[in-house]
Amino acid sequence: MGMIQAGKYLVRTRKHGPIKLAGDVHGVKAPDFDLRTLDGSKVKLSDFRGKAVLLNFWATWCPPCKVEMPWFVDLQNKYGKDGLVVLGVAMDDSEASKIAAFAHEMGVNYPVLLGNDQVSDDYGNVQYLPTTFYIDRNGMVVDKMAGLLSRQEIEQQVQKALQSTYKPVAESRRAAVAAATPAAKDAAQ
Amino acid sequence: MSRWLCLAAILLAPAGLLPAQAPGEKQPTVIMAPVGNVEVHPGRSTDLELDFRIGTEFHINSNKPRADYLIPTVLKLTPAPPITLGDVKYPPGEDMSFAFAPNEKLSVYSGDFAINALLKCAPRATPGTYPLKGELRFQACDHSACYPPRSIPVQFQVTVVAK
Repeated sequence: MGMIQAGKYLVRTRKHGPIKLAGDVHGVKAPDFDLRTLDGSKVKLSDFRGKAVLLNFWATWCPPCKVEMPWFVDLQNKYGKDGLVVLGVAMDDSEASKIAAFAHEMGVNYPVLLGNDQVSDDYGNVQYLPTTFYIDRNGMVVDKMAGLLSRQEIEQQVQKALQSTYKPVAESRRAAVAAATPAAKDAAQ
Repeated sequence: MSRWLCLAAILLAPAGLLPAQAPGEKQPTVIMAPVGNVEVHPGRSTDLELDFRIGTEFHINSNKPRADYLIPTVLKLTPAPPITLGDVKYPPGEDMSFAFAPNEKLSVYSGDFAINALLKCAPRATPGTYPLKGELRFQACDHSACYPPRSIPVQFQVTVVAK
């Protein structure tokens, strides 16, 4: 079933160009992005290949987002050594200085990126905040969570992302094709 | 109150027929009740009440939210000579706590609320009908998440009646 879904996804991707998330995102490659941080440097998701990424869409005007931020700080401290990277994507229209002041006040210790319509669109038109994507070390989406969760639920998602063994779709397809060849069938019999 | 009935019938009827929705699938709604006939005499003013209804399960910040980072509800009307605008009066927000921050009080509107605006008519205004346009800007949340700020159009007609 997963292979069929991945196949459909590849078709859609070829037709429509860059990868965009929609529908069931489990095991789908997370779209890469190139966003500015609050200090003006640029960050790509692909910079963190080999790490599990907690990608949190938030805004200063979102009180539930504010609740999660200290938890993300703790989780970054606790699981950073195991390969977790927390990235916040601020979806505010306000200036970076205001976002920076807010993040500083909240004690944020992880990179805050300045979101835009493109990244929102690529991640399935993120409208509901907070929305968090849990991405594994291969860059595959393990889960998407919309709305505020409990700290325990968030930590479970982090652990899933750190332990995930989703393979990139191309690799899965190669394995499936190899398994379907006559030689492979003979070997199996 | 009856002017809400038609709107309510349209908005609420499907609610009982739909399965439970996942977070983010239901969009917040704020609608304005139709404005009746607004009349004003040249050189006089009139107090206009605009009635709004927020969709169930949602709340929006009041005009005076309790923190700088929150986005207030604001009514903006564009003057249309000979009609100009006086004070806009917002209702006080209701101090409420939500599951996402039980120790924090937010000043919000939920359900129905009304904003009053003073309309002034120039002394030498020509009798006739003048359209007024504007928008209500708000930012809505539900019990666990928030939606980006939005605006809905506000428009009605003002009739200048000879003295």
